[in-house]
Amino acid sequence: MIRLQNIEKVYRTDTVETLALNKVSLEIAKGEFLSVMGPSGCGKSTLLNIIGLLDEPSKGEIRIDDQKTANLSDKQLAQFRNKKLGFIFQSYHLISDLQVLDNVELPLLYRSATARERKQLATEALAKVGLSNRVKHFPSQLSGGQKQRVAIARAIVGRPEIILADEPTGNLDSAMGNEIMDILIQLNRDEGTTIIMVTHDENMAHKTHRLVRLFDGSQVQ
Amino acid sequence: MFKHLFKLIWNKKKQNFLLMSEMLVSFLVIFAVFTLMVFYYSNYKKPMGLEYKNLWVASYNNSYKTNNTDSLNIFYENLRQTIKSMPQVKEISFCSENVPFSQNQWTGNVHYKNASPNADFYTVEDGYKDALNIQVLEGRWFSKGDAVTKTPAVIINNDLKEKLFGTEEALGKLIGEDEGKNKLRVVGVIQGVKVKGDYSPAKAAIYKRADTGSFHWLGKMMIKVTPDADAAFEGRLYKTLANYMKNSNVEIEHMPNKLKSANLFNIVPMIVTLIVACFLVINVALGLFGVLWYNINKRKGEIGLRRAIGASGQSVSFQLVSESLILATLSLIIGTFFAAQFPLLNVFDLQAGIYVMAIILSVIFIYLLVLVCSLYPGRQAAAIYPAVALHEE
Repeated sequence: MIRLQNIEKVYRTDTVETLALNKVSLEIAKGEFLSVMGPSGCGKSTLLNIIGLLDEPSKGEIRIDDQKTANLSDKQLAQFRNKKLGFIFQSYHLISDLQVLDNVELPLLYRSATARERKQLATEALAKVGLSNRVKHFPSQLSGGQKQRVAIARAIVGRPEIILADEPTGNLDSAMGNEIMDILIQLNRDEGTTIIMVTHDENMAHKTHRLVRLFDGSQVQ
Repeated sequence: MFKHLFKLIWNKKKQNFLLMSEMLVSFLVIFAVFTLMVFYYSNYKKPMGLEYKNLWVASYNNSYKTNNTDSLNIFYENLRQTIKSMPQVKEISFCSENVPFSQNQWTGNVHYKNASPNADFYTVEDGYKDALNIQVLEGRWFSKGDAVTKTPAVIINNDLKEKLFGTEEALGKLIGEDEGKNKLRVVGVIQGVKVKGDYSPAKAAIYKRADTGSFHWLGKMMIKVTPDADAAFEGRLYKTLANYMKNSNVEIEHMPNKLKSANLFNIVPMIVTLIVACFLVINVALGLFGVLWYNINKRKGEIGLRRAIGASGQSVSFQLVSESLILATLSLIIGTFFAAQFPLLNVFDLQAGIYVMAIILSVIFIYLLVLVCSLYPGRQAAAIYPAVALHEE
């Protein structure tokens, strides 16, 4: 489903050149739950950004569903992200001025869905993560675990085939982290969603199908 | 999407309050400037009501000291014949001091039934109409027969006619001056004359015929000359007047020059207002630009998120510009409510059309200002790399 070939990413400033990813090649099958681990600064988030088409590799090729992504325009990339990908971030990235339901509806604003359809899909997504009773709340009125569940609902509302999770349990205590992990495992198992998760937590990583380790930008496992 | 933007703006109403206030104040200032400009322009487009080219005005102070009205009449009649015999003189008319384009005014109230509008009073002779080429719209100009009528004949302009009679017939009606004690009969209606220059409206005016006693106090004569009347002729005319009216201060002015002075009287405050408004607009533009720029920097995380979940750079830019325009719309709705009170309450006695046009122009101006100020920050937001924006958050 996702194929990365010799991906390199170099960050350049006037004086320093940093190799964030060094010839990373990876194949991720449809329905797979993959975790990426490694020390801070090893390129985990860069790899996730590149797979999520939020950043471009300096070298190498990415194919998702056999489609080369290098030649897509900004608009096509946006549409691709909207339909195929869902994102979950460590710091949730909820819009504080919007209620839970409106936050979950966000991805649907960028596709042709009526207000009624948006509301229905967002309500269903919130039900899946067990937050049906928090639709009118603002993010500031929620706990960290609830915020992350809202973020998961937002990621799945558009029914994407791939979910990219960047340390989704990083800001949560172990109980809440386990709750979030259970939701992700359920999504992967019941709906066949491909999940790629960056984590620092060995326990969480071992709950996934496969573990990829990075060190200094290179794949070591 | 617009519903979503409204919701976002509404939920951030506290943060948006200052920006909206700035837009509202800008709108009201721009509205004031445009009202002034539209008022001046609408006056400029109206006919002058007189022909000022080759028209001179001679000022004098009465040097012929006599209480005998007949001999005073003969004195000035002889002067009239002397001047009129000059080949360059086409028409001459003695008149009161308040000639067009001067700062002299003689005002009073004119009464008819319940109406008593304020009007400019002019005392003129029969030749005044031809000297100034005044257009008679209804009835007639003065004639010699008016000297012997029981009720003095007067001529009013169309502005006074409208204020006194509305759509009714004016000719033959008796109107009053001095609290209605003196009755005057309207024999003609003329086109209003813009006596304060191109940019001022024609005020309501009433013209009385100079009688035999008027020469005791009249101090001006309007002289229509031929196009070939040059400085040499002006010198000869001056000498003729000065020799005839010994010990009188005689001054000859050209009406086009007086018009220029009168116009300056209007243009200078307009230019000063425009300069002040320009500085204000620049300040507002910089303020708007700064606030929008700051907002974008503050909302980098949100921009990154929107890009990640499917917004293209163009749609992010569109969203930010739309938000600014929605804020402007809300400010303009409030501003228009206040501005609309001016025509509704008839503040400053201006036509409603002037205010309406000023409102339309101000709305367009504010929209353009907001659009220009938000386009660049919007484009900058579109150029933000989503990965960078999300990382900064």
